[in-house]
Amino acid sequence: MAREEIQSEVTGTVWKIEMKVGDSISDGDTIMILESMKMEIPVISTEDGKLVEILVKEEQPVSEGQAVAVVETD
Amino acid sequence: MSPKTPTDELEQRRLWAEAQGGPDNVKRQHDQGRLTVRERIAGLVDAGSFQEIGKLTGSESYEGLALKHVTPAPYVMGLAQIDGRPVAVGGEDFTVRGGTTAALDKRKGGQGGFVEDMAHHYRIPLVNLIDGAGGSVTSAKRRGHAVFPGVDSFDRSIDLLAEVPVVSAVLGSAAGGPAGRAILSHWSVMVKGSSEVFAAGPAVVERSLGQKVSKDELGGAAVAVDKAGSIDNVAESEAECFALIRRFLGYMPQNVWELPPVVPCDDPVDRCEDALLSIVPEQRRRAYDMRKLIALVVDKGSVFEIQPTFGKALITCLARLDGHPVGVIANNPMVYGGAMDGPAARKQVRFVELCDMFHIPLVFLVDVPGFMVGLQAEQTGVLRDGMRAVYVASQATVPVVTVVIRKCYGMAGMATCHKRGLEFRVAWPSAEWGSLPVEGGVAVAFRREIAGAPDPKKREQELEEELRAYGSPMRTAAAFGVEDMLDPRETRPYLCRFVALAQSRLKTELGPKLKSGVRP
Repeated sequence: MAREEIQSEVTGTVWKIEMKVGDSISDGDTIMILESMKMEIPVISTEDGKLVEILVKEEQPVSEGQAVAVVETD
Repeated sequence: MSPKTPTDELEQRRLWAEAQGGPDNVKRQHDQGRLTVRERIAGLVDAGSFQEIGKLTGSESYEGLALKHVTPAPYVMGLAQIDGRPVAVGGEDFTVRGGTTAALDKRKGGQGGFVEDMAHHYRIPLVNLIDGAGGSVTSAKRRGHAVFPGVDSFDRSIDLLAEVPVVSAVLGSAAGGPAGRAILSHWSVMVKGSSEVFAAGPAVVERSLGQKVSKDELGGAAVAVDKAGSIDNVAESEAECFALIRRFLGYMPQNVWELPPVVPCDDPVDRCEDALLSIVPEQRRRAYDMRKLIALVVDKGSVFEIQPTFGKALITCLARLDGHPVGVIANNPMVYGGAMDGPAARKQVRFVELCDMFHIPLVFLVDVPGFMVGLQAEQTGVLRDGMRAVYVASQATVPVVTVVIRKCYGMAGMATCHKRGLEFRVAWPSAEWGSLPVEGGVAVAFRREIAGAPDPKKREQELEEELRAYGSPMRTAAAFGVEDMLDPRETRPYLCRFVALAQSRLKTELGPKLKSGVRP
């Protein structure tokens, strides 16, 4: 078990959060969708496990490399 | 020891060379999680193919006239084979005085030297296994004078970049000269957690700026590969590093006078993937996985991505189509909608030049809304970096085919086409193009009309809709403003045909490519 931070690849704003804390998650799942450069950019899990923390709110600005969620890996 | 015959002495001297810096220093190297240079070479090249050159070099110690010991020179090099093809390979021996330079009649390698001369003379790739700390002020004491910078010239290292593939692996802490040597390569790699590269290490930084930083913070892969892009790729271990080097060289010709190697391909040329039909979302605002798209088109398992973590708005990879090496340049809609920022532009420039130099045809998979906009992009020089990408694309002479997947806008779009060549562009039905996207463009061009309307927001939308109707790629195809339209499933067969056609042309342009002009 390890805590892995999921980072935003882009600067933008949080548009929609698609999952909630406690959800089980697989590599490739969309945790939330950001808006950047007029595009919807999904934040995708790179781990299998459980979503244990969401570090941002909808409409909140995020910057490139910022941790936006934490996954506890299996 | 006192050897009985000259052959015994030769044998003894070879044994001393193989013992490197002695068991204690070898153990220290292993304890750091690092291999010795001899283990590295053995791990890299075809088994038994290493022919060492300059094995007897070192500093001798005598008792009277009797030879007592030879401490080997801290650089090991020679000729070897990778997948049956000759290469020149060398690296510092960190177990001998930390891989510093040796007082020999001439250099073995590391910055120019015999190993680089061999690569030049025999026209074979060069692999540098870098694990040295560079110059030291103590050499001034030994020599009695301070040496002028450039006493060990980089000229050969620079000239090689127009002749043969040069690969550098940073396998320890490289500062100064060895760090500079790593950069003068067509492709470079380092090992996560056990190698660093910087102009100067933490001690110099603290003395100069008062900044306290660790080696890893200053020049680990997270900086050198992900942020600075000064080293291209990262490996998890030295073993993986050697596998990556072998793989990279597999796409390269031996030199610029030859064509890149073609491998047998069991992936059908006419493989048409249905998944390509739905990969681009209908909603224009949705991003998609361009890496998946690439994998569906090129030969299965043939993708070798260069700089995967730097300039992430762009994807550059070597791949194969029907066994022929190609360079694929694709925008990544997941990062800033694929907009070209400074790092993405620099990545494109380097990759176009690499492929052009080694006669590897280029395939652009285009989804670019333009240069990156905004304060940060302007402050970091997106215009100059971006226009350099346009300039370099214009100077390339290797065959290029442009496949417009979705957006192709503005000057960043121009950098994906080869106007001076055939200017061969095909498009998917999802394609759209122009000098700038309708959104934003309308707001500028019809500013007064929109401001004067009773409902400005509504008028802007009406104008956008009206102009978007002209944006169908079929209209441009009817005007022969784009050469053809593809059903996405036809992309692989189409590109395989292109790369087969390119072969005749490539043969007529072998040799170095000399380019003139001042790049923006």
